[in-house]
Amino acid sequence: MTGDAKLIVQGLSHHYPDEYTGESVHALQDINLQIHDNEFVTIVGPSGCGKTTFLNIIAGLLPYREGRAMVDGVEIKGPGPDRGVVFQEHAILPWRTVNRNIGHGLELRKVPKAEREKRVQEYIDLVGLSGFEERYPHELSGGMKQRVAVARTLCADPVIMLMDEPFAAVDAQTRITLQDELNRVVMATRRTILFITHSVEEAAFLGDRCIVFSRRPGQIKTEIKIDIPREERLWKDMVNNPKFTDARDEILSLVRSEVTNDDNS
Amino acid sequence: MTAINEFSVAIQRRFGRQKIRKFVLGSIPFILLIVLWHMNSIFLVFEPVEIPPIADVWGAIFWLQSDCPGVFAAIEGHNGCQLTNHVSSSVGRVILAMVVGVPLGIGFGILAGMNRVISAYLEPIGVFMNSVSGIAWIPLAIVWFGVGWETTLFIMLNTIFWLLFFNTMMGVRAVPKVLVQGVQTMGGSKLDVILQVYLPGSMTSIITGLRMSMGFGWRALIAAEMIGGDSGLGFMIFVSAQEFKTEEVFLGVILISIIFLATDRWLLVPLEKWTIERWGLVWKPT
Repeated sequence: MTGDAKLIVQGLSHHYPDEYTGESVHALQDINLQIHDNEFVTIVGPSGCGKTTFLNIIAGLLPYREGRAMVDGVEIKGPGPDRGVVFQEHAILPWRTVNRNIGHGLELRKVPKAEREKRVQEYIDLVGLSGFEERYPHELSGGMKQRVAVARTLCADPVIMLMDEPFAAVDAQTRITLQDELNRVVMATRRTILFITHSVEEAAFLGDRCIVFSRRPGQIKTEIKIDIPREERLWKDMVNNPKFTDARDEILSLVRSEVTNDDNS
Repeated sequence: MTAINEFSVAIQRRFGRQKIRKFVLGSIPFILLIVLWHMNSIFLVFEPVEIPPIADVWGAIFWLQSDCPGVFAAIEGHNGCQLTNHVSSSVGRVILAMVVGVPLGIGFGILAGMNRVISAYLEPIGVFMNSVSGIAWIPLAIVWFGVGWETTLFIMLNTIFWLLFFNTMMGVRAVPKVLVQGVQTMGGSKLDVILQVYLPGSMTSIITGLRMSMGFGWRALIAAEMIGGDSGLGFMIFVSAQEFKTEEVFLGVILISIIFLATDRWLLVPLEKWTIERWGLVWKPT
């Protein structure tokens, strides 16, 4: 049953003490989830629902005590190169050129220089950054910086890619381009991805499966399959695709109901 | 006339208009000071023993070096080469104090910036040490080490260490956490994080710390040499003043500023250009 599952989460709950009051906050409640090889799973939910907490636990940046979480059959204990993270803010290093940022993961794993350069060039071409190899991040636009961040994670070749609202900080036009590009890259390289977002459209556009989180404590409310082949997922076609619009509307109403509940309480 | 025009255009192309403007404007107060100084030697408002003529100050260089057999002797520290000996004595102490104090200050600063427990231990004593002026330690240092080399070195080391420690610690704390997490999730070790994130990430603060160390360190060193030294520019100034050789005092003061300016221009400014400017970490008016 769990044969090709890359990520297995069983009965994961999480509490943490509030920074100011010290009271225990119940962030996650009994999360059960499996992500299979080459699957693109999106998680969407109202703000403060614990989706980023969940991703940080999987990334190993946040210790957990209740439940289990495994990547490739190995229990998660701290961060590791088997899980590559693309963060919301710019996490690429300002003191490294585009080249050296993208090759950083390989460098940390002591991959020989010749092979590293070959791989880096491959991903630079893939995300369309040719000609910017020797530039520093401060010379790039916001969209280009996020392309570097995505290429950096791809190049390190993790078992699963964790993306935490990676396109939330760029302008709307760039966001659409980046989403199209991510689709193209996923098609070209076959990846297993867990993608967190607060945008319903983004969740429906990118995910093979979309998981809707309830408000805090975050629980898996529903799971929606979006059965559209990757090749057909282009923004210009998707807006007229009933499978997409139906899924989007369904997710939207689910998320809405969570937000309204929240307002009434 | 056209030749002059061409020359001025060539200079502007070479250095840039803004830079020339800045240089010219910055030079004016110095030129005024030199003119006033020279006027004094003509009208003798102040006696030469109070303000010596420019020519005498210039002459003091040769007078102090008059028993020096040559360049090699000066490098070897021959007894006759008084001026170069004092200069190399001061500069040597600065270099030694920097070589020891900078890595120590940065090292402890990074540890304290990373670790709450270490900073809980070291921050209060850092505040305490930084609030005590470096020269306040001179009398105590003389009691401990006597007059000479060790006292001056201690004074300067003490000044450099705490300044760099504090600035580095603040710089490390300001490094965005997400940069650290990024390296950790790619499999980076603690040492990787220190060398590839915290050290370059706190470079802006470290350079500020270096600049302050140089400034305060030089001042403390000169004071230490005056009171507790047996060589160096501070010592030379002090002894010359007691013997009313004012031209030597003037020479010493001018040399101190020139050496200080040179270290800033040829050490700190290039370091700044090579690191934080290249990385876009400096705010620049556009």
